This record gives sequence, C-alpha cells and structure tokens, in this order.
Amino acid sequence: MTKRYVMLADITRCINCKACVVACRAEWETPLGHSRDWVKEVELSTADGFPVVQLFPGRCQHCDDVPCVEACPSGAAWKRADGIVLVDDALCSGCELCVPACPYEARWLNPQTNTISKCTFCQPRVDEGLPPACVQTCVGGALRFGDANDPDSEVSRLLGDKPWLQLTTAEVPGGTRHYYHTGGAPLPNEVLPRPVGQHVQAALLGNVVNPAAGIGIGGMVAAFVGAGVKKIIDRRNALAGGKENTHE
Amino acid sequence: MSEQREPRMILVRDLWIIRLHWFNALGWALLVASGFAIISGDSLRLAPAFWPTFVQNLFGGNAAVISAHAVVGLVWLLGIALFVAWRWRSVVAPFLRGVLSITPRAIIADLPFTVITLARLFGFMKRARVAPQGRYNGAQRLLGTMIIVASLLIAVTGLYLYFSPKLFSFAAAPVFGALFRTALLVHAAAVFLVLFGLVAHIYFAVVEEREALEAMKTGYISVDFIHHHSPLWHEQLKREGKV
Repeated sequence: MTKRYVMLADITRCINCKACVVACRAEWETPLGHSRDWVKEVELSTADGFPVVQLFPGRCQHCDDVPCVEACPSGAAWKRADGIVLVDDALCSGCELCVPACPYEARWLNPQTNTISKCTFCQPRVDEGLPPACVQTCVGGALRFGDANDPDSEVSRLLGDKPWLQLTTAEVPGGTRHYYHTGGAPLPNEVLPRPVGQHVQAALLGNVVNPAAGIGIGGMVAAFVGAGVKKIIDRRNALAGGKENTHE
Repeated sequence: MSEQREPRMILVRDLWIIRLHWFNALGWALLVASGFAIISGDSLRLAPAFWPTFVQNLFGGNAAVISAHAVVGLVWLLGIALFVAWRWRSVVAPFLRGVLSITPRAIIADLPFTVITLARLFGFMKRARVAPQGRYNGAQRLLGTMIIVASLLIAVTGLYLYFSPKLFSFAAAPVFGALFRTALLVHAAAVFLVLFGLVAHIYFAVVEEREALEAMKTGYISVDFIHHHSPLWHEQLKREGKV
C-alpha cells in the first residue's frame, strides 16, 4: 500500500524551545534570516481575562490539492505519491509564481541557491527510514511523523486517540498532511491559511491570455473549416449546374 | 505582326528564401510542440494535460524538454539572424518595406481588404470593390506585421526566460524575477497571436491559393496569378521589364 506520510503537532506539548527550527536550519543549512519551519506564538485571553499563549509549530502543510504545484510553470513543484510536496532545484527558475499561491507562506526564494525552499518533511531522511530533523529533535514530543496508512504506526494510534484539526478554511478547504491537537481549543485566526494568491502575470496568463487564445484560435479554426466546407459545397453545386446545362 | 507573349511563369523567390520559409515552419512546429509541453502547472498550462505528461515522459523529464526547446529556439533564431544579415539588402529590407504595416494610417488602409477577403470566404461582400494590391495584399501585410512583431517578442523573451535564471540573482534583485514572470506572459501571448494568424495563413495556402503554396516549393508563379491578385506588383514587374 502507498505510504501516506503525516506530521502531527500536539501544541499542548510545545514549549517554544525552537529546537525544531534549529534542527531544520542545521539540516538544510538555510541562510541567515530564513527557515523552513517556525513556531508561531498566538496571544489570547481566557473568558475570565487570563492571558494564554498558544504555540503552533508550522511548516509546509503538504496540501492534498496543491496550489503551488498548479502555479509552477516548469513542473519544479511536484507531489510524490506518498503526499510529500517537493521542489526540483534543477527545474526551478526562482520565478516565485508559487510563493503567493501557498496559503501557509511556507515558500521562499533562497538567496544562496536562487531556487524556492520549503519544508520537504526531510524527504532524504524519510527515504532512509529516519524521522524529519524537527521531529527527531523535539524535546517535548510535540511533533510526530509517520505513515498514516500503516495501522500499527504511532501516528495512526495518535490520530485515533485524540481529536486533531487541520489548518483549513472555507476559502482553503483542501485537506493537508499536517494535523494539530489543541486540547479542544479552537484554531485562532492567526494560524489559519490566507486565500491562495497569484502574481499579476499568472492571473493574466491563466484568466485572460489562455482563455482568449482558446476562443480566438478555436474560433479561427472553426471559421476556416466552415469556409472550406462552403467551398466544397459551392464547387459541387457548380459542377451539378454544369451537368444540368450539358443535359439541356 | 505577332504580339509578344508574356512568359507564363516567373521566378519570384530563390532557393534560399524557400529553404528559410520551410526552416522557419519546421522550427515553429518543433517549438510550439515542445513549448506547450513545458508549462505544467494546471493554472498556467497552455495545452491539455496529456500533452506535457506525454512529452515529458518521452524525453525523460521536463529538464530535457526545456533543453530541447532552447536548442531548437537558438538554432531557429541563429538561422533567421544569419539569413537577415546575409540577405538584408537584396531580400530582407525590400520584404520588410513591402509587408510591414505599422502606422495607424497603413493599418487603416489595409483593413478593408482584409475584411472583404474574409467576408468573401463566406459568400458576403462579393460586389465590394477593393483597391488594387501590390505584392503583399492588405491581409498579408497585417498578418505579416503581426507575425514579425510577435516573433521578435518571442525571441527576446525566450532568450530572457532561458538565460536570466543562470545570469541573475532574482533574490538579490527582485526586478529580474518580475521581468521573468512578465516575459513568460508576453512569450505565451505572442505565440498565441502567431498561431491565430497561422490558421489563416495555412488555410489560404492549402485551400484557397494552391499556386501560392507551389510557389513556396519551386519559386515560380504564373504571371496570370500575379496579374489577378497583385495588379500593382504586375505593373511594377512590367516597368522593370521582367514580364
């Protein structure tokens, strides 16, 4: 059976040590000021006025419907059968058409490679049977990773034991491969995805140029096929007229 | 006294012009087929999904398709550039003078012939009078101008799309990335404009004016054809003593 890799983040166990961020930066040698994962701090207050801080470890959510893949012109952004969304550096031009398409702001242009960087669930480690660097280093055990299609895996057990939420909205409804356990608290707006965006060039190409070309070229082909058919009919009529005249 | 007969056929283009035309046609066929296979993302894709999948599988990945598109594009560009440099005075400059319709006045002058020609295909405007045309009629001039301008845009944007990620850091200077995205848009739009015009070009060559297609194989065309379609050109050839 195909694997279905998922990441679980139990925010009730996160202590904001950011070891996951350090491990990710060390694993991928990301440049200063850039990281493939993060911990978002959301300040809330309870009904009786006590302040509460929720901690959301975040990264690419590895969407089921992948807007970044749809926005990539060269096929550099792609999704494996096991659900991991990857970037093929050899194909990536760094055009950033995929950046506004990501509702989780998980893609950025790496100034060292001039290609797009994002969390890949540490795909090379996963393929060697290792957990992602952030999961391996998480001191509170907040992060878990594994194959949800394996009924004996830890993630399958945890998914059955607790309620889990995904960062989705009515505007970004697709499922993801990333789950959050909040201890029953609702997801704050601060961590919910933004609507899928587009650069103006992508919007013009997808919404104006391509449809106009389809209509224009299709219309031209239809018109000239019609002209050709009319020419054949006219020629047959002319021949038939000639024959009738001959009989007369 | 017997009247001197006009020669039935006249040579209007040499072998290198014919070779350039078919070289250009072959280049276009390969570039459109490979270009439509490169753009993969569903929101930007220019061709049905099966085409990029089929061609990329055939080539063993999109990197190979992009390389093939770039090589054919560079050969196409170099071939045409060499011809332009070699035959500028004898062929290219006279061709451009005859075919370009760039000023608003020229475009307005060429529009009635184009409209009437297209309308006549469907049986309309049969009695409408058209002004006598030169070697290139109004429709050919408008189409030719569009294809020349679009081809220049395609060449410039194609070079930028291929080389700019190798030459510039889009992270250090985001304007280069914005230019890349704009070049992609212009490249696709210009290709569509040419394809739009090519439908008419191919129809007239294959269905309406087979003699013109033959002339693009042999270089010869009948004087009657020139007299019928391009009376001003016929007059010019007479003045030059060629017919």
